[in-house]
Amino acid sequence: MSTATARFDGSANATPRPMSPEEKKVIFASSLGTIFEWYDFYLFGVMAAIIGANFFTKLDPATRDIFTLLAFAAGFAVRPFGAIVFGRLGDLVGRKYTFLVTILIMGLSTLLVAFLPNYASWGIAAPICLIALRLLQGLALGGEYGGAATYVAEHAPMGKRGFYTSYIQTTATVGLMLALMVILGTRSTLGEKDFADWGWRIPYAVSGILLVISVWIRLQLKESPAFEKMKSEGKTSKAPLSESFGQWKNGKIVLIALLGLTAGQAVVWYTGQFYTLFFLQTFLKVDPATANILIAVSLILGTPFFIVFGALSDKIGRKPIIMAGCAIAALTFFPLFNALTSYANPKLQAAIQKSPITVVSPAADCNLILNLTGTKVFTSACDLSRVFLANAGVNYDKVDGPAGSVATVKVGDKSVVGYDSKAPTAKDDKVRFEKEVRDALTAAGYPAKADPIPALSSNWIMIVLILTIMVIYVTMVYGPIAAMLVELFPTRIRYTSMSLPYHIGNGWFGGFMPAIAFSIVAAQGNIYSGLWYPIIIATMTFVIGMIFVRETKDVDIYAND
Amino acid sequence: MWKIAVGFLAFAALALWMLSKGGDIDIGGEKHDVSPPAAEKAAEKAPEKAPGK
Repeated sequence: MSTATARFDGSANATPRPMSPEEKKVIFASSLGTIFEWYDFYLFGVMAAIIGANFFTKLDPATRDIFTLLAFAAGFAVRPFGAIVFGRLGDLVGRKYTFLVTILIMGLSTLLVAFLPNYASWGIAAPICLIALRLLQGLALGGEYGGAATYVAEHAPMGKRGFYTSYIQTTATVGLMLALMVILGTRSTLGEKDFADWGWRIPYAVSGILLVISVWIRLQLKESPAFEKMKSEGKTSKAPLSESFGQWKNGKIVLIALLGLTAGQAVVWYTGQFYTLFFLQTFLKVDPATANILIAVSLILGTPFFIVFGALSDKIGRKPIIMAGCAIAALTFFPLFNALTSYANPKLQAAIQKSPITVVSPAADCNLILNLTGTKVFTSACDLSRVFLANAGVNYDKVDGPAGSVATVKVGDKSVVGYDSKAPTAKDDKVRFEKEVRDALTAAGYPAKADPIPALSSNWIMIVLILTIMVIYVTMVYGPIAAMLVELFPTRIRYTSMSLPYHIGNGWFGGFMPAIAFSIVAAQGNIYSGLWYPIIIATMTFVIGMIFVRETKDVDIYAND
Repeated sequence: MWKIAVGFLAFAALALWMLSKGGDIDIGGEKHDVSPPAAEKAAEKAPEKAPGK
């Protein structure tokens, strides 16, 4: 019996047993590497404003738009591309070497940012290099998750894959928290000014240390036994891409995995973790520091449930938990977000009910307010009025006005005429409009800010409870999904086949969530209407998943090797 | 398992403590916008909040 076969105990005949030291090392190394990858990737998001000030402020608007599009592409186009590139590599040459490459690319491209001269020193070359490094990060991240999930699952014994892979599922949250801790620690040590000047480079430099640790640990790992066995038998795929996506037999499973699993999982995740924060800050006017603590506490309380639901999926199945997560989320998002408003900003809720607002505008003046890439500029009075009201967290009704008239915002008896940003007096008009609307809103009882929410007060506890419920939804859909994706595909094309639906699901359906939800809010004039997007997608996933996705917990993932 | 639980609790407590000390930070995840308002706001904000000013 070969070494590979001797270690290979993931078949259907394997008997339940405790986690071996080698398996613990595999999970630890894979999770740690993925945590560091998320850490690297989130640095850019958390410090976007400072990075913008150092690299993009001096650019003219057109050039800046190009860079915004490229930064956008790093998340939404390059990541799925990375999934294809590294998925193929992982199925051709092995899991271990592939995710060694992904972590090297991620770590080095992050480390280099620490030493990259800013715009003042290098001119246009600085943002070009920064965006190039950002694109490399997206590429690496695209290859990382599928590799880690596949590697861990192929080491897990039968009946434990959900439990083992659930550790990988905690890494996005832990990576974000790690990034926050390093940034906050550096900032509080150096002070705001030094941090904005040069201190922001330190968290990037720290990634060098993390890179060395990750590579050192991963170098000690052995190749996945399933892949090693297949390779020794000469059964590896020669063309993973065409086998994965070019043949309908497997291609349809990729499509089902996308629409029946990852799309719903992604919107539930983004709603529970990111949209809640946006909602608290933008619509409910909770001060950012309080909102951060509320979200962080709920994430911390919810994170262990990734493991709980991963392990539970080994007992009762992946499908019931993921589908229940999508269905319950779709059914309860509206009441939960309503409850958030009543506990976080009760005065706003009272004002919404007491003092309705109307935007009167000719229909032709009102366009689709959708800014997916962050480069679109709204100019008409109707669009600008609606964006302003949406950002103010205010509900409104839209009424068609006579053709040729200028959009007007009506708050009770007060009417405020809108402005067109192309008009010569636009700058003054904007100041006048925003001041008058704010004054009218204040007079009508709309609070400019939410009242302070003292820690551990009854409202604080209720908000944490509501947010934790939504994080638990995230753990229901996300905890078992790595195991399920792995089990849907054969070893020879597993890395390629599972990576793409995961990254398209999360990058597109999830990544577009904030922009689409805001667009719906602005169009409908209701701060809750953005929830229709995750509700519709989660419902779609529930329906498609219930019909087409098969249960996989008892699948022998090596049966067809 | 208990080691992971203890490690996670320590990590969580430290994260919360740090957030409570300097929680004015964007935890909204990845960003793509490099537009001027965000960048200029950050540039203006730094001197205002500099220690000793």
